[in-house]
Amino acid sequence: MGSFRRDKDDEDEGITNIYQNLEKTSVLQETRTFNDTPVNPRKCIQILTKILYLINQGEQLVAREATDCFFAMTKLFQSKDVVLRRMVYLGIKELSSIAEDVIIVTSSLTKDMTGKEDLYRPAAIRALCSITDNTMLQAVERYMKQCIVDKNPAVSCAALVSSLRLASTAGDVVKRWANEAQEALNSDNIMVQYHALGLLYHIRKSDRLAVSKLVNKLTRSSMKSPYAVCMLIRIACKLIEEEDISTEDMPNSPMFTFIESCLRHKSEMVIYEAAHAIVNLKNTNARVLSPAFSILQLFCSSQKATLRFAAVRTLNKVAMTHPAAVTTCNLDLEGLITDTNRSVATLAITTLLKTGAESSVERLMKQISSFVAEISDEFKVVVVQAICALCSKYPRKHTVLMNFLSGMLREEGGLEYKTSIVDTIITIIEENAEAKESGLSHLCEFIEDCEHVSLAVRILHLLGKEGPFANTPSKYIRFIYNRVILESPIVRAAAVTALAQFGASCPALINNILVLLSRCQMDPDDEVRDRATYYLHILQSNKPELYKHYIIERETCSLTLLEKALTEHLNGDLSTSFDISIVPKTAIVKEEVANEAMLISNTPRAPKITREEESAARLSQLPGIQVLGPIHRTTTPIQLTESETEYTVQCIKHIFANHIVFQFDCLNTLPDQILENVRVELTIPEGFTTRAVIPCPKLPYNELQTTFVIVEFPPDIASSAATFGATLRFVVKDCDPNTGEPDSDNGYEEEYMLEDLEITVADQIQKTKKSNFQAVWDAADTEEWVEAEDTYSLSAVSTLQDAVNTILKFLGLGAANLSEKVAEGTHTHTLICSGTFRGGAEILVRSKLALSDGVTMQLTVRTTDPDVAELVTSAIG
Amino acid sequence: MLALINRILDWFKSIFWKEEMELTLVGLQYSGKTTFVNVIASGQFAEDMIPTVGFNMRKITKGNVTIKVWDIGGQPRFRSMWERYCRGVNAIVYMVDAADLDKMEASRNELHSLLDKPQLAGIPVLVLGNKRDLPGALDETGLIERMNLASIQDREICCYSISCKEKDNIDITLQWLIAHSKSQSR
Repeated sequence: MGSFRRDKDDEDEGITNIYQNLEKTSVLQETRTFNDTPVNPRKCIQILTKILYLINQGEQLVAREATDCFFAMTKLFQSKDVVLRRMVYLGIKELSSIAEDVIIVTSSLTKDMTGKEDLYRPAAIRALCSITDNTMLQAVERYMKQCIVDKNPAVSCAALVSSLRLASTAGDVVKRWANEAQEALNSDNIMVQYHALGLLYHIRKSDRLAVSKLVNKLTRSSMKSPYAVCMLIRIACKLIEEEDISTEDMPNSPMFTFIESCLRHKSEMVIYEAAHAIVNLKNTNARVLSPAFSILQLFCSSQKATLRFAAVRTLNKVAMTHPAAVTTCNLDLEGLITDTNRSVATLAITTLLKTGAESSVERLMKQISSFVAEISDEFKVVVVQAICALCSKYPRKHTVLMNFLSGMLREEGGLEYKTSIVDTIITIIEENAEAKESGLSHLCEFIEDCEHVSLAVRILHLLGKEGPFANTPSKYIRFIYNRVILESPIVRAAAVTALAQFGASCPALINNILVLLSRCQMDPDDEVRDRATYYLHILQSNKPELYKHYIIERETCSLTLLEKALTEHLNGDLSTSFDISIVPKTAIVKEEVANEAMLISNTPRAPKITREEESAARLSQLPGIQVLGPIHRTTTPIQLTESETEYTVQCIKHIFANHIVFQFDCLNTLPDQILENVRVELTIPEGFTTRAVIPCPKLPYNELQTTFVIVEFPPDIASSAATFGATLRFVVKDCDPNTGEPDSDNGYEEEYMLEDLEITVADQIQKTKKSNFQAVWDAADTEEWVEAEDTYSLSAVSTLQDAVNTILKFLGLGAANLSEKVAEGTHTHTLICSGTFRGGAEILVRSKLALSDGVTMQLTVRTTDPDVAELVTSAIG
Repeated sequence: MLALINRILDWFKSIFWKEEMELTLVGLQYSGKTTFVNVIASGQFAEDMIPTVGFNMRKITKGNVTIKVWDIGGQPRFRSMWERYCRGVNAIVYMVDAADLDKMEASRNELHSLLDKPQLAGIPVLVLGNKRDLPGALDETGLIERMNLASIQDREICCYSISCKEKDNIDITLQWLIAHSKSQSR
């Protein structure tokens, strides 16, 4: 017993970190030691370590503190101690972005980087580049060029990497170092060669011709560095994608031949890179893929865990794009599900789940549950994503999967892991009506003991939305009311809102809800009290139409735009009151990758901002844009020119209630020309009126500039889909390609034909996603709504899935309840979808499809505007 | 008698203990600061130097004295930083281009605003009028007048006219510096 106790004590002491309890002010005080003479290197190194530790722990220094610390540090240049000097370089790099006047050490660093002490030189280069701004770059340019071609590989690498960093802020200067980089590319050192290629590619990457020349040259000379070869493979892939080489031409393309030849390289890293590159190419067929997949298959049975991991991870990623090819590796993957490395096993199982048959799901789930508790959160998320993918693929398996998920939900885990589980369950509930009840009860159980406020709030919101339409709504009320008693104010407030939803949607429960809400009025938190009072009053009013607008379907403004509009309003003259109707409503954020759930994505998700929010910020610079009202929809860019022409133009259409703003992004690719007064002339179809043309005053070489045309829609909605002819007009002036200064003031008018533009029905419709389509559809059977119905025979399509895709594309609507996926082997299908027309009219569409000789479709449209109904029905056919 | 003993003590000290002193060299750009450091360090004069961006730190040993020199760039963007390097040194050396009469006023203003800093009170100042080999260069009296050195009363101040090119008066400058390392150490 005694010995056991001592062991435990030792363990506690063993993990103390001597830097753990540092305090910023006292450490900064200690920097005074730097001014002592003679310098005590040991002591100073310790203090510098403390500073670096603090900064890396996220401690914020204000400019004055950092500057004082920085200047104290510069005093250490008097010491000849090598370790201390290198610590000073690190300190300089860390403080360079916070402290002021950091250029003071330029001269000292230049001396070190050109000096004899090789231990100083690389670090001095890195530090120098971190303190150099554009104005000082000229002064150090000569030294940088020398260092790039230095015979010491560490110096050369440091110079190359630092140049690459500088290139982002001072691209023009770094461009002049291309010759030196070219020379470094011939180096015998593998790292120098790799970094030289990196820099050279960065310098040339905007010029595709130069890149393809570089690649062609390098693929013929065999490079020594495997890292450089890997990089070359990536560049070659990018070129292949950009040139969009078709499947047939692929084997003849020199780029592809090179990548394929790398499959026989002697370095495993290169072989893997090549295989990975080929399986990720867009235009491929089985013949092109098979050698790459055999490599991956080979790696699956490798002795080295890294190779197994790399191979199985790649297979996992492409499992949805090349299911057939991945299936050929199934046998090897089966062997890996019991791999000692948990990461390999997890990936193998999830890959099999994605490609395997419905029958193997249960077996695999059993296998994975045997060790799911032992793997890290990150891989648990991978498992959850795979399950999510499975649910949409095999809706019938939802009981097994749901049980598994709820099991996972009960285990320990971080917020991200729990969020992904809850996300998955919510997706399943939204897409699969059968799974709704069991999913909701799992979530109810989860919030009984949930430490994550954000998740609890989300689940309560979902309960409020879905619960009232379940078979026995009353059973959820207990779970929700428990939250009101037990949780923090934020959760209590969410619970009150959820209760109100039940009151509004379930007349049978209203009396109970009123009692509960009146109890909530005693809450110590004012937000909770306010909400309770608000809902209580509305529910007591006994007016169902009030319920609808103020409880069930509260329209929400886009918060970023609301904030922006309010700031603008406060900066204005305040004589008019704020008009909330100019703020656009939130729309669904479209996921860029359609099958994201299927992929392992390690990149952090970009902040969710809709295209509309992005363009609203941009358009707000246009004078008088507010008159047009809130923006309804922004389309994806369309190219109006071939990609390799003198001028490239792309068009983005911003749709407003009664107007279209055409945004033309123009690029001038001729270095010896400068264009002025650039504008697009549209041939306006009948009914449309041009309201304004906003030209772009000046379009220099290689700068993206924008010109706008604002057009009003015709009052007659039926003729609102039309085609516009477009011509780019501008004044050309010749200029010096180096300076960009025009040679003379005289220019001449020019015009340039662009491709025609179309405004389609889909452009004018913003898709919405209804989770409870049937309820909305049934509710739309009142007098305000119009119904139009028509039958079509779609001869152009041969499968139901094609028909569904076509309809969604032409109408621009969002499908509900997963109806955009047609089950295989069926002959009939019902597609339900919804959207909002510009101006705010809601559109609900139900289309019944039958496969006979071609596809026959019965399309029913319910909307609030008869003209819109006509337009929608006429859009198909 | 006491003075004699002190002198003997000093002599012993100079044998057994090395003296160390720290000085900061400032002045407008192109007045010859870095050249001066090179001349006293190696005796070499090299024309056409690149301007100092930031500072150079040099250690020079003369006899038993090690002199640490902070040679700070004279371009306008560095002038605000002079003060940081002047704090706590044994002496401030202020370099003036004696042949460039147009810049004299700017040089005077910079010197006076530097010496007004409370942190630098009492630190001895040596003003050097460089480039006396050039025609039209001011001598000591001219410098004292144009630089308004007479108004500086709160500290020891001295002015020499030197030429780094001809190595004129470099010896007396060094003597003054070494003398100040001793006076501070006592």
